[in-house]
Amino acid sequence: MTDRRDDGERAAGPAPVVAFDHISKTYANGTVALRDVSFSIPARTIHAICGENGAGKSTLMKILFGLEGPTAGQVLLDGQPVSTATRDFAGRHGIGMVHQHFSLIPTLSVTENIILGHEPKKGVLIDRAAARAKVEALSQRYGLAVDPDAITGRLPVAAQQKVEILKALSRDTRVLILDEPTAVLSPPEINELFSRLRDLRDHGITILFISHKLNEVRSLAESVTVLRAGQVAGAARLADVPDNMIMQMVMGRPVEITRREPRQVTGEPLLVMSGVSLASRDPADRLRDIDLVIHPGEIVGVAGVDGSGQRGLVSLVTGAARPGAGSISFDGEDMAAASTERWRARGMAHLPSDRFTQGGVPALTLIENAIAGTDGDRRFQRGPFLRGGAISEAVAGMVEDYSVRALSIGERLDSLSGGNVQKLIAARELATEPRFLIADQPTRGIDVAAAAFIHKRIVDAAERGAAVLLVTADLDELLRLSDRVVVMFGGQITAVLANEAHLTPERLGPFMLGLEDMP
Amino acid sequence: MTGLLNIVADPATFATVLRVMTPLLIAALGILISDRAGVFNLGMEGMMLTGALVGVLVSAWTGSAWLGLLAAVVAGGLMGALMAFAVNTLGANLIITGIALNLAASSGTTLGLFFATGDKGMSGALKSGVMPSIDLAVLGSIPVIGPFVSGHNVLTYGALLAVPLVSLMMARTAFGLRIRAVGVDPKAAATVGISVKLIQLKALILSGVLGGMAGAYLSMGYVSWFAQDMTAGRGFIAIAIEVMGMGTAWGTLAATVVIAIAETLAITMQTLGLPNELMQMIPYVVPIVILTIWTARGRAKRAALK
Repeated sequence: MTDRRDDGERAAGPAPVVAFDHISKTYANGTVALRDVSFSIPARTIHAICGENGAGKSTLMKILFGLEGPTAGQVLLDGQPVSTATRDFAGRHGIGMVHQHFSLIPTLSVTENIILGHEPKKGVLIDRAAARAKVEALSQRYGLAVDPDAITGRLPVAAQQKVEILKALSRDTRVLILDEPTAVLSPPEINELFSRLRDLRDHGITILFISHKLNEVRSLAESVTVLRAGQVAGAARLADVPDNMIMQMVMGRPVEITRREPRQVTGEPLLVMSGVSLASRDPADRLRDIDLVIHPGEIVGVAGVDGSGQRGLVSLVTGAARPGAGSISFDGEDMAAASTERWRARGMAHLPSDRFTQGGVPALTLIENAIAGTDGDRRFQRGPFLRGGAISEAVAGMVEDYSVRALSIGERLDSLSGGNVQKLIAARELATEPRFLIADQPTRGIDVAAAAFIHKRIVDAAERGAAVLLVTADLDELLRLSDRVVVMFGGQITAVLANEAHLTPERLGPFMLGLEDMP
Repeated sequence: MTGLLNIVADPATFATVLRVMTPLLIAALGILISDRAGVFNLGMEGMMLTGALVGVLVSAWTGSAWLGLLAAVVAGGLMGALMAFAVNTLGANLIITGIALNLAASSGTTLGLFFATGDKGMSGALKSGVMPSIDLAVLGSIPVIGPFVSGHNVLTYGALLAVPLVSLMMARTAFGLRIRAVGVDPKAAATVGISVKLIQLKALILSGVLGGMAGAYLSMGYVSWFAQDMTAGRGFIAIAIEVMGMGTAWGTLAATVVIAIAETLAITMQTLGLPNELMQMIPYVVPIVILTIWTARGRAKRAALK
């Protein structure tokens, strides 16, 4: 797409600090995470790595941090090839990483966390004075103020992140990797972090900044490499390219989209959420001031980068979480405190995003998975005993209706392919003729034919009058099925758009990446 | 009532408390180390029992109580290593491994005793050694206090000395810091280059060493023979003590004192004509009550935080 390979070589003088040379990574299960990735990062710069979830950013950083080895290709540090995935690789080569989920031990003090693994010693004991002095010196040099004696777990998140950065810098670090470091911070804290990172660069540290937030990339980094589907989709100096070009690289080329016939929704909405917020330990699940209505027969698609609050939203309408504020009603009934059982009794059906941990039980048979949740159903149960004949007949019917390809209904669920598992779960959920269907990433990772089949069943459910909440990272799927699209970013709804012909992934992009906000 | 007072003020009662305390304290400190490393040593009872038999046998064969103690400690350490191997290398379940060690030790020591003496119940026929008592010459001659502090078994002093040593090791050495890190978040510890398996292996060996020592005290200090299943659940009481001590050495000492006093009361108050069975319940009821109260308080605290 651009002349990315030449970038590092053109700059005369010393070899780049980090260079990836034709790196490929294929996991044992056949997943190809990286495909022939080559690019380099000059010293004393802040370099951003962008891409959607699953684009290969994390795998590449795991290789650089030495947690995994590449299947092919090599990593060069200062122009020298190094073998990664060796013990304490990162520590020996001066590579520090600030993990998205901190790698701090909450029960230890700040000093203990920072010296862990390379403790200064005096005889058999830890030299506490030296350790403390080291932390204070680090803290002073890089302008990251922390209390060396505080118990780490009791500090606020922004302070814990400073500790994490100091820990990453504590071993003569020259390359610092930050994985989505702003996800846990508030806007003023982000500004503070960025000015500290610029200071670090001025101290001679090369920074790799992993993010999917374009505005942050632009305000911090000098250059960017975009990964898509395990490959380098483009590289650029940020001063040279406009936002929409980077976005194009992140999202890929637009695909021809066949939309569903637009429908006129009438009458009262079935689901009404207003002013809903959700508190959660995981910032990716937090919600703020959500207003959302879904009418009978309407498919509302939720777009957003993974971790923008979709999981929190789904947990609220499936009875897995209770809102901190605001109201949720279904068919006029207050459901804010409703259990999953009550939601189901009102006609909720749920196609969960993870079909093997939430959707079904891998080690149980198709029969057992297909009747899960029907306990007490008179068709399948007489007294305490299950009616084997009636159950087999019903499940065989489901398997046929949904063309689930299986040798027998007595097989274990995990002997099926992903698409067939998803079809069986869809069969189970839709067998109840739901009034409210939640389809969370309904076709992720399954083949095209199975996906088309599930799409048709979702549309059928809506046409029978079900309100459908479709959460998906697949924009093609979103635009194919939805009547209306809401975009989430940072736990809020940033846009509500009618799915009309001029709505394209490019139009959704800025909302998904937090560049634009619809008041 | 005066009967009770006489019992409390008697140096003999104090000595009984210390005698009861010694094996519990050593074992509980062993459990503490394993617990903090994230590999709770549920096999402590079996390690103690094995240490008790090995100590008696080796001291009888060599004529040296100290060599018996050394052998008991080595046997305990080997059992700790075996537990680490089963759990970390073979991937066995930690709890099941602990239970298996206890069951194997119970029948294994009976078998060993039978081979060595031809008796399945007691080692009375063997001339085994006893760990010496120590007279603290100067301190012992102090009026009133002297009889309380002097003249106890060397392992009793060792157990009391182990409290500050374990405390210091956990708080101030790199090994202790790594144990604490590994026990809370092994993945985070591994990212800084710590070998989680190695730390857990060392912790379990140390735990087993202390278990062997606690067992040796039972058969070569508390009494001077080995009897079938003579640990009588002390390894499990030590678990309760470690939990009550909240994972700290000093807390474990405090909890041991409470349990030992309860047990001593159970022994001495039998002389006051109260029902035997009721008294024997005390050492078991006390930890249940204390742990119930603490769990309830912990819940209330967590609820208040929300």
